[in-house]
Amino acid sequence: MKSTAYSEKVLDHFRKPRNVGTMEGEDIGKGRVGNPVCGDLMEFYIEVEDNRIKDIKFQTFGCGSAVATASMITEMAKGKTLEEALKITRKDVADELDGLPPIKMHCSNLAADALRDAIKNYQKKKGQTSETEVKEEKFSKEIAGEKEFLNKGVYHDASDISSFEGKRTLIVDRGEQSIATAIKLSKHIPRVVFLTSGKNISASEELATKLKQSNVKILYESELLEIQGIRTVEKVLIHDLNEDTKYELFVDAVILL
Amino acid sequence: MTSLWMQAQQCGFNKEFLIMNAYLDYQSSKPVDPRVIKAMMPCFQDKFGNPSSLHKIGDEATKIVEESRQAIANFINAKKEEIIFTSGATESNNLALFGFAMRNKDKGNHIIISEIEHISILNITKQLVKLGFTISKVPVDQYGRVHLEKIKDRLTDKTILVSIGYANNEVGTIQPIAKIGTFCREKNIMFHTDAVAAEGLLELDVKRDNIDLMTLSSNDIYGPKGIGVLYIKTGIRLNPTIIGGGQERGKRSGSENIPGIVGMAKAAEIMQKEMDKEVERLLGYRNKLIKNILEKIPRSYLNGHPEERLPNNVNLRFDGIEGESLLLSLNDKQISVSTGSACSSKTLEPSHTLIALGLLHEEAHGSLELTVGRFNTNNDVEAVIKALPEVVDRLRKLSPLYE
Repeated sequence: MKSTAYSEKVLDHFRKPRNVGTMEGEDIGKGRVGNPVCGDLMEFYIEVEDNRIKDIKFQTFGCGSAVATASMITEMAKGKTLEEALKITRKDVADELDGLPPIKMHCSNLAADALRDAIKNYQKKKGQTSETEVKEEKFSKEIAGEKEFLNKGVYHDASDISSFEGKRTLIVDRGEQSIATAIKLSKHIPRVVFLTSGKNISASEELATKLKQSNVKILYESELLEIQGIRTVEKVLIHDLNEDTKYELFVDAVILL
Repeated sequence: MTSLWMQAQQCGFNKEFLIMNAYLDYQSSKPVDPRVIKAMMPCFQDKFGNPSSLHKIGDEATKIVEESRQAIANFINAKKEEIIFTSGATESNNLALFGFAMRNKDKGNHIIISEIEHISILNITKQLVKLGFTISKVPVDQYGRVHLEKIKDRLTDKTILVSIGYANNEVGTIQPIAKIGTFCREKNIMFHTDAVAAEGLLELDVKRDNIDLMTLSSNDIYGPKGIGVLYIKTGIRLNPTIIGGGQERGKRSGSENIPGIVGMAKAAEIMQKEMDKEVERLLGYRNKLIKNILEKIPRSYLNGHPEERLPNNVNLRFDGIEGESLLLSLNDKQISVSTGSACSSKTLEPSHTLIALGLLHEEAHGSLELTVGRFNTNNDVEAVIKALPEVVDRLRKLSPLYE
């Protein structure tokens, strides 16, 4: 079956998705789930009154079936109690949409998971359970390949901008100086990726905003595991801490201040 | 309306179809040129002979096949004897890599390809690994270019073959083929190139570029599907991958697909005559699409090389948008395009080419590929330029990744 062989109902929800948007407030639960299979992302917002889902909104970065399943599940969940909503399965969503191509079943998983995440977020909020954030060790151990490629693509100093010309450059978060370097470099070369283990940029608000508005591509909750190549740096191995997956990124230079 | 339109209609093209649909996916499939169909028709009935037969009907078939072989040879500046007909580019790639590797394994077991080869090459090399060969992949730069230095870095005394695509079918980047070919010739390493993406868009010349093996497809020059060619330089030995009655000098058995062979030859003849003019027209469409889309849509980027690029190829990405959603939305507006998004693939993996360019998964997800061709008109280009900003805007409103 072709991935585009969708039912009319799927296409209808894709073309006219219901309940798109975001919500904020005291009685709002927010869920966010990424898909390790295909990289889709989904966010759900629920407004709860008397233990029932009074309103629900979503946003998604995903394919046709991701949009359709999210839209469908918002319709299914609205008005239900939190317990009832928690019971909605991916099969329920797919059935309601008159079926999904087998290869797309995981998309309905995503919608059900994001809804559950939002409900749990709400319950946690109301249960007053405070989560203590585990502080990550910032300047971690030496990275595999760091020594081997020193000055062959790995740099401890970025003052000479000309050495990065034409190079896809990865900068690892080592405090405010590395952020400033990323911003400066992005004005001279087209591809700068900034990697941080944090969920947010930990720097002065001014600097963090500057970074977000620049051309720098930011990788949150990520860890550099290994630098690889033959003679010079060719790629790196990155650990996505949130998804607990590893993947390769092709770069020509790595800056470790 | 161009004269091409008139021709297309005379030869049975459905005018409604051409008007109603903006087809910008020529990389995936091309309609057969009406003149090619006309040339093929007699081969189904009057000229049905088998070249292996010794009577005059067989002799006539032999003559047709050999004339066609000459036409293909002319198209790439090769000798007639260096052209082997196959069932298409995938088979040609199999014959080139398997056939060469198995025949020459006593000389070495190391093969070099690039990170952005066509899926058929990638999967053939995976199979070769199981048979005891080692494969090195050369990375590309951010524009998709292979650098000779990186090939040199991977060379060993066991290297017997280098296979680098002439141009990339997804992002359109053209490789420095002459440079690589000359280097391999000096080192006495065989050089194969899959030239399918470049066919009919760049002038192919196996002598100028020092190419030893070259894959060609018929459909990519508006010929029929199911026929292709492997150019094998005189003196190169390889094992057949299809065994049988010894046709095609024993390198590819099976009774000749004469309608296909005639069709491909006619397509090559037409291309040789009309390529310069056609490329100029396509280049105009390509540049207009790139310029307008990048101007009209904020946070849109061109994938691939800005200059060293096939004249028919536009590959873009848009922050915060997924490619399959883009494809479906354009489909609703009668615009046919392609994407490198994982969600539209059979494996759910994003395009290996875009990843090799250094893009993150989410960026590869948002890619859009437009390829123009012989039967496009300015109307098609205008339709895309009008529709795309609306579609991107709608999808961005749905996206949590776009603020």
